[in-house]
Amino acid sequence: MAQPRAAAQSHVVRNEDDPEEKTPDTKLYEELGELARFIDTTMKTLSEFSAPVNASTEQLPQAQSHLLNLKTQTEQGTHRVMLEVEAIQDNHTKISTMLKEMTLALQQAKSSPAVLAQVSALGQTLGQDDKRLLDIMTALSFQDLVAQSVNKLVTILDEVEHKLLQLVVVFGPYQKQAAKTDQSKASEMLKQLEATKNTSMDQDLADEILKQFGFN
Amino acid sequence: MPADPNMKILVVDDMSTMRRIVKNILKQLGFNNLEEAENGQEALTKLKADTYGFVVSDWNMPVMMGIDMLRAIRADESLKKIPVLMVTAEAQKENLMEAVQAGVSNYVVKPFTAETMQDKINKIFK
Repeated sequence: MAQPRAAAQSHVVRNEDDPEEKTPDTKLYEELGELARFIDTTMKTLSEFSAPVNASTEQLPQAQSHLLNLKTQTEQGTHRVMLEVEAIQDNHTKISTMLKEMTLALQQAKSSPAVLAQVSALGQTLGQDDKRLLDIMTALSFQDLVAQSVNKLVTILDEVEHKLLQLVVVFGPYQKQAAKTDQSKASEMLKQLEATKNTSMDQDLADEILKQFGFN
Repeated sequence: MPADPNMKILVVDDMSTMRRIVKNILKQLGFNNLEEAENGQEALTKLKADTYGFVVSDWNMPVMMGIDMLRAIRADESLKKIPVLMVTAEAQKENLMEAVQAGVSNYVVKPFTAETMQDKINKIFK
């Protein structure tokens, strides 16, 4: 029976020169108390951030919408340019056929070499422009790279929105109300947020969370 | 053996702009029998339903990625000999080894030119 007491005493290291020195247990309690106060202060500070966090979270879907709109607009613009390029390419094909027929007719009519050279030069110029049109067409592949970057940004914004909403739920004023009323609501929201982690978040869930904090 | 200008070519890309660009380039290079698919899954369905001589495919696509489609083509006895040219974005260069191991015929890095496409086709059908 004397063992626990002996064990407890073994933790106490006394310094004969300093009678005020605290035992390790006392130090531990003080440090835990300090840690608790630090956590409480941090919670309060983070709670104060909930309003700006809410505002930021509310703006994120708008940012995503702007980005997707940018992708759509570049896609539509690219198709418009493509349509014109393809129309010019079709015209060039027709002109090229006509030039060949014209050259043949001129040769049969024994036309002067100068005229034939002019027709040939026209064909060459047309060929050079065909090359330019193809360069314009391939340059439009920038739209695909833009679309890929936009998709990546939308994914990142979606993740940020998830994280911010988790912060709102954990540190927001709802937590204080929830302690008195419905504690399970916050954890339910966290579960729902976690469930939508790898997918696009349901707008209803985002609205519900924001509504809890007074944002309609 | 040079590429047959009449062979049926399948262009696979989820972006309509890229499908249009690749088809335009192929048309300017003399190929007129061009079909398209929006992802690997749709491409496999089309490949099994008809005879194709060549596939030009994007890497990054929803539903089924280009690399998964390539593996499925190489695993299918009736499709495995079809040449597949993979088109990848600059940032995905590290994936090329994976494509080589999966049996890709050649690859083009975006953005590319008509000359590059012609060069790759020539190398595949030499």
